[in-house]
Amino acid sequence: MEEYRRHFEEVGFNAEEAHNIVKDCIDEVLGGEDYDQDDINQWTASIVEQSLAHLVRLGKAYKYIVTCAIVQKSSYGFHTASSCFWDTVADGTCTVRWENQTMNCIASVFAIAIVL
Amino acid sequence: MSTRTGLSIPSVGASFAVPDVEADAEKSAEAENTYILRPIFQQRFRPSTVKDCIHDVLKEELTNAEYIPEEMPQLTKHLSETIKDKLKEMGFDRYKMVVQVVIGEQRGEGVFMAARCFWDADTDNYVHDVFMNESLFCIVAAFGCFYY
Repeated sequence: MEEYRRHFEEVGFNAEEAHNIVKDCIDEVLGGEDYDQDDINQWTASIVEQSLAHLVRLGKAYKYIVTCAIVQKSSYGFHTASSCFWDTVADGTCTVRWENQTMNCIASVFAIAIVL
Repeated sequence: MSTRTGLSIPSVGASFAVPDVEADAEKSAEAENTYILRPIFQQRFRPSTVKDCIHDVLKEELTNAEYIPEEMPQLTKHLSETIKDKLKEMGFDRYKMVVQVVIGEQRGEGVFMAARCFWDADTDNYVHDVFMNESLFCIVAAFGCFYY
Protein backbone atom coordinates (compact mmCIF):
# COMPACT_ATOMS: atom_id res chain seq x y z
CA MET A 1 0.00 0.00 0.00
CA GLU A 2 2.75 2.39 0.99
CA GLU A 3 4.60 1.73 -2.22
CA TYR A 4 1.53 2.17 -4.31
CA ARG A 5 0.78 5.44 -2.63
CA ARG A 6 4.22 6.85 -3.27
CA HIS A 7 4.02 5.84 -6.89
CA PHE A 8 0.67 7.54 -7.18
CA GLU A 9 1.86 10.81 -5.66
CA GLU A 10 4.68 11.00 -8.16
CA VAL A 11 2.34 10.69 -11.08
CA GLY A 12 -0.44 13.13 -10.11
CA PHE A 13 -2.53 14.63 -12.85
CA ASN A 14 -0.63 15.64 -15.95
CA ALA A 15 -2.49 18.72 -17.13
CA GLU A 16 -0.28 19.22 -20.15
CA GLU A 17 -0.94 15.74 -21.43
CA ALA A 18 -4.68 16.23 -21.01
CA HIS A 19 -4.47 19.61 -22.70
CA ASN A 20 -2.87 18.05 -25.79
CA ILE A 21 -5.41 15.23 -25.91
CA VAL A 22 -8.37 17.59 -25.78
CA LYS A 23 -6.84 20.01 -28.26
CA ASP A 24 -6.24 17.21 -30.76
CA CYS A 25 -9.84 16.05 -30.37
CA ILE A 26 -11.21 19.55 -30.97
CA ASP A 27 -8.95 19.99 -33.99
CA GLU A 28 -10.18 16.73 -35.40
CA VAL A 29 -13.88 17.48 -34.90
CA LEU A 30 -14.06 21.21 -35.60
CA GLY A 31 -11.14 21.62 -37.99
CA GLY A 32 -12.36 23.08 -41.29
CA GLU A 33 -15.98 23.38 -40.09
CA ASP A 34 -18.15 26.48 -39.84
CA TYR A 35 -20.80 27.09 -37.22
CA ASP A 36 -23.95 25.14 -38.03
CA GLN A 37 -26.71 24.82 -35.50
CA ASP A 38 -27.78 21.44 -36.87
CA ASP A 39 -24.35 19.91 -36.30
CA ILE A 40 -23.34 21.56 -33.03
CA ASN A 41 -25.05 18.92 -30.90
CA GLN A 42 -23.09 16.23 -32.68
CA TRP A 43 -19.81 18.14 -32.43
CA THR A 44 -19.91 18.80 -28.68
CA ALA A 45 -20.85 15.17 -28.08
CA SER A 46 -17.97 13.94 -30.25
CA ILE A 47 -15.44 16.22 -28.55
CA VAL A 48 -16.32 15.17 -25.00
CA GLU A 49 -16.66 11.50 -25.85
CA GLN A 50 -13.42 11.25 -27.79
CA SER A 51 -11.48 13.22 -25.19
CA LEU A 52 -12.87 11.03 -22.44
CA ALA A 53 -12.01 7.87 -24.34
CA HIS A 54 -8.41 9.03 -24.80
CA LEU A 55 -8.06 10.07 -21.15
CA VAL A 56 -9.41 6.77 -19.90
CA ARG A 57 -7.00 4.95 -22.17
CA LEU A 58 -4.11 6.48 -20.19
CA GLY A 59 -5.06 3.93 -17.54
CA LYS A 60 -4.72 6.16 -14.48
CA ALA A 61 -6.81 5.83 -11.32
CA TYR A 62 -9.01 8.81 -12.01
CA LYS A 63 -12.64 9.60 -12.45
CA TYR A 64 -13.06 12.12 -15.25
CA ILE A 65 -15.53 14.89 -15.96
CA VAL A 66 -15.27 16.49 -19.38
CA THR A 67 -17.37 19.48 -20.41
CA CYS A 68 -17.39 21.37 -23.65
CA ALA A 69 -19.21 24.50 -24.77
CA ILE A 70 -19.30 25.78 -28.34
CA VAL A 71 -20.44 29.32 -29.00
CA GLN A 72 -21.16 30.97 -32.28
CA LYS A 73 -18.58 33.69 -32.76
CA SER A 74 -19.97 37.15 -32.20
CA SER A 75 -19.04 40.39 -30.54
CA TYR A 76 -21.01 39.33 -27.48
CA GLY A 77 -19.42 38.22 -24.26
CA PHE A 78 -19.04 34.74 -22.90
CA HIS A 79 -17.48 33.75 -19.59
CA THR A 80 -16.85 30.57 -17.73
CA ALA A 81 -15.53 29.82 -14.25
CA SER A 82 -15.29 26.76 -12.08
CA SER A 83 -14.85 26.05 -8.38
CA CYS A 84 -13.76 22.74 -6.98
CA PHE A 85 -13.84 21.21 -3.54
CA TRP A 86 -11.26 18.42 -3.67
CA ASP A 87 -7.73 17.27 -2.90
CA THR A 88 -5.49 19.82 -4.61
CA VAL A 89 -2.50 17.49 -4.65
CA ALA A 90 -4.00 14.45 -6.34
CA ASP A 91 -6.79 15.98 -8.39
CA GLY A 92 -6.39 18.29 -11.32
CA THR A 93 -8.07 20.28 -14.04
CA CYS A 94 -7.25 21.72 -17.40
CA THR A 95 -9.11 24.02 -19.77
CA VAL A 96 -8.64 24.35 -23.51
CA ARG A 97 -9.69 27.37 -25.55
CA TRP A 98 -10.07 26.96 -29.26
CA GLU A 99 -11.42 29.22 -31.95
CA ASN A 100 -11.79 29.61 -35.67
CA GLN A 101 -13.54 32.19 -37.86
CA THR A 102 -17.08 31.24 -36.87
CA MET A 103 -17.01 29.71 -33.41
CA ASN A 104 -15.38 29.59 -30.00
CA CYS A 105 -14.93 26.38 -28.08
CA ILE A 106 -14.09 25.97 -24.40
CA ALA A 107 -13.47 22.49 -23.06
CA SER A 108 -12.62 21.58 -19.45
CA VAL A 109 -11.35 18.37 -17.95
CA PHE A 110 -11.64 17.61 -14.24
CA ALA A 111 -9.72 14.60 -12.99
CA ILE A 112 -10.66 13.22 -9.59
CA ALA A 113 -8.35 10.68 -7.97
CA ILE A 114 -9.93 7.43 -6.86
CA VAL A 115 -7.09 6.29 -4.58
CA LEU A 116 -6.35 8.56 -1.64
CA MET B 1 -14.12 -11.67 41.38
CA SER B 2 -14.71 -12.65 37.85
CA THR B 3 -11.89 -12.06 35.39
CA ARG B 4 -12.65 -10.46 32.10
CA THR B 5 -11.02 -11.88 29.06
CA GLY B 6 -9.76 -9.68 26.29
CA LEU B 7 -9.59 -6.52 28.37
CA SER B 8 -6.42 -5.54 30.21
CA ILE B 9 -7.65 -3.46 33.11
CA PRO B 10 -4.87 -2.86 35.64
CA SER B 11 -7.15 -2.66 38.69
CA VAL B 12 -8.41 -6.22 38.54
CA GLY B 13 -7.97 -6.75 42.26
CA ALA B 14 -10.10 -3.77 43.28
CA SER B 15 -13.31 -4.41 45.18
CA PHE B 16 -15.42 -2.51 42.66
CA ALA B 17 -15.67 -3.22 38.96
CA VAL B 18 -13.97 -0.77 36.65
CA PRO B 19 -16.59 0.37 34.16
CA ASP B 20 -15.84 -1.02 30.68
CA VAL B 21 -17.27 2.05 29.05
CA GLU B 22 -14.29 4.20 29.89
CA ALA B 23 -11.83 1.84 28.32
CA ASP B 24 -13.96 1.60 25.17
CA ALA B 25 -14.31 5.34 24.89
CA GLU B 26 -10.56 5.74 25.02
CA LYS B 27 -10.11 3.26 22.22
CA SER B 28 -12.64 4.86 19.89
CA ALA B 29 -11.00 8.26 20.31
CA GLU B 30 -8.27 7.16 17.90
CA ALA B 31 -8.95 7.61 14.21
CA GLU B 32 -10.09 4.35 12.73
CA ASN B 33 -10.85 3.15 9.26
CA THR B 34 -14.50 3.57 8.47
CA TYR B 35 -14.52 1.01 5.65
CA ILE B 36 -17.22 3.06 3.98
CA LEU B 37 -17.55 2.20 0.32
CA ARG B 38 -20.96 3.67 -0.33
CA PRO B 39 -22.38 6.99 0.85
CA ILE B 40 -24.83 6.92 3.74
CA PHE B 41 -28.30 7.32 2.30
CA GLN B 42 -28.94 10.70 3.96
CA GLN B 43 -25.65 12.06 2.64
CA ARG B 44 -26.05 11.04 -0.96
CA PHE B 45 -25.60 13.68 -3.66
CA ARG B 46 -29.24 14.07 -4.62
CA PRO B 47 -29.87 16.07 -7.80
CA SER B 48 -33.27 17.37 -6.73
CA THR B 49 -32.10 19.09 -3.53
CA VAL B 50 -28.92 20.37 -5.14
CA LYS B 51 -30.87 21.79 -8.05
CA ASP B 52 -33.16 23.71 -5.68
CA CYS B 53 -30.12 25.11 -3.91
CA ILE B 54 -28.47 26.23 -7.15
CA HIS B 55 -31.66 27.72 -8.47
CA ASP B 56 -32.11 29.78 -5.30
CA VAL B 57 -28.61 31.19 -5.61
CA LEU B 58 -29.08 32.05 -9.29
CA LYS B 59 -32.42 33.70 -8.64
CA GLU B 60 -31.02 35.77 -5.84
CA GLU B 61 -27.89 36.87 -7.67
CA LEU B 62 -29.04 37.23 -11.26
CA THR B 63 -32.67 38.33 -11.34
CA ASN B 64 -31.76 41.99 -11.65
CA ALA B 65 -28.28 41.50 -13.07
CA GLU B 66 -27.31 43.08 -16.36
CA TYR B 67 -24.56 42.07 -18.68
CA ILE B 68 -21.71 44.47 -17.97
CA PRO B 69 -18.56 43.15 -19.66
CA GLU B 70 -16.15 44.45 -17.00
CA GLU B 71 -18.04 42.80 -14.16
CA MET B 72 -18.59 39.39 -15.70
CA PRO B 73 -15.27 37.70 -14.86
CA GLN B 74 -15.88 38.68 -11.25
CA LEU B 75 -19.50 37.55 -11.31
CA THR B 76 -18.82 34.11 -12.79
CA LYS B 77 -16.11 33.46 -10.20
CA HIS B 78 -18.29 34.76 -7.40
CA LEU B 79 -21.19 32.54 -8.47
CA SER B 80 -19.12 29.39 -8.69
CA GLU B 81 -17.58 30.07 -5.28
CA THR B 82 -20.96 30.76 -3.68
CA ILE B 83 -22.52 27.63 -5.09
CA LYS B 84 -19.54 25.52 -4.08
CA ASP B 85 -19.75 26.87 -0.53
CA LYS B 86 -23.49 26.17 -0.44
CA LEU B 87 -22.88 22.59 -1.53
CA LYS B 88 -20.22 22.17 1.14
CA GLU B 89 -22.75 23.30 3.75
CA MET B 90 -25.22 20.69 2.61
CA GLY B 91 -23.06 18.06 4.24
CA PHE B 92 -22.33 15.54 1.52
CA ASP B 93 -19.78 13.55 3.47
CA ARG B 94 -16.85 12.16 1.44
CA TYR B 95 -17.85 13.94 -1.72
CA LYS B 96 -15.62 16.01 -3.93
CA MET B 97 -17.44 18.75 -5.74
CA VAL B 98 -16.91 20.51 -9.05
CA VAL B 99 -18.99 23.55 -10.00
CA GLN B 100 -18.81 25.08 -13.43
CA VAL B 101 -20.51 28.35 -14.31
CA VAL B 102 -20.97 29.76 -17.79
CA ILE B 103 -22.37 33.23 -18.41
CA GLY B 104 -23.06 34.72 -21.80
CA GLU B 105 -24.66 37.80 -23.24
CA GLN B 106 -28.23 37.17 -24.35
CA ARG B 107 -28.20 38.29 -27.97
CA GLY B 108 -29.46 35.29 -29.82
CA GLU B 109 -26.11 33.70 -30.64
CA GLY B 110 -25.94 29.93 -30.69
CA VAL B 111 -24.47 28.05 -27.72
CA PHE B 112 -24.24 24.37 -27.03
CA MET B 113 -22.74 22.70 -24.04
CA ALA B 114 -22.14 19.03 -23.34
CA ALA B 115 -20.55 16.97 -20.57
CA ARG B 116 -19.53 13.35 -20.27
CA CYS B 117 -18.28 11.69 -17.13
CA PHE B 118 -16.27 8.59 -16.43
CA TRP B 119 -17.17 7.63 -12.87
CA ASP B 120 -19.14 5.37 -10.54
CA ALA B 121 -22.73 5.95 -11.62
CA ASP B 122 -23.97 4.37 -8.39
CA THR B 123 -22.52 7.05 -6.10
CA ASP B 124 -21.67 10.03 -8.29
CA ASN B 125 -24.12 12.44 -9.79
CA TYR B 126 -24.52 15.80 -11.42
CA VAL B 127 -27.07 18.57 -11.82
CA HIS B 128 -27.36 21.43 -14.20
CA ASP B 129 -29.48 24.52 -14.12
CA VAL B 130 -30.11 27.25 -16.63
CA PHE B 131 -31.09 30.79 -15.75
CA MET B 132 -31.99 33.50 -18.21
CA ASN B 133 -33.05 37.12 -18.03
CA GLU B 134 -33.27 39.83 -20.69
CA SER B 135 -29.59 40.58 -20.84
CA LEU B 136 -27.72 37.36 -19.94
CA PHE B 137 -27.96 33.61 -19.69
CA CYS B 138 -26.24 31.46 -17.11
CA ILE B 139 -25.60 27.73 -17.09
CA VAL B 140 -24.43 25.98 -13.95
CA ALA B 141 -23.25 22.39 -13.86
CA ALA B 142 -22.41 20.80 -10.51
CA PHE B 143 -20.76 17.39 -10.19
CA GLY B 144 -20.42 15.32 -7.05
CA CYS B 145 -17.81 12.57 -6.89
CA PHE B 146 -17.70 10.15 -3.98
CA TYR B 147 -14.29 9.10 -2.72
CA TYR B 148 -13.93 5.74 -1.05
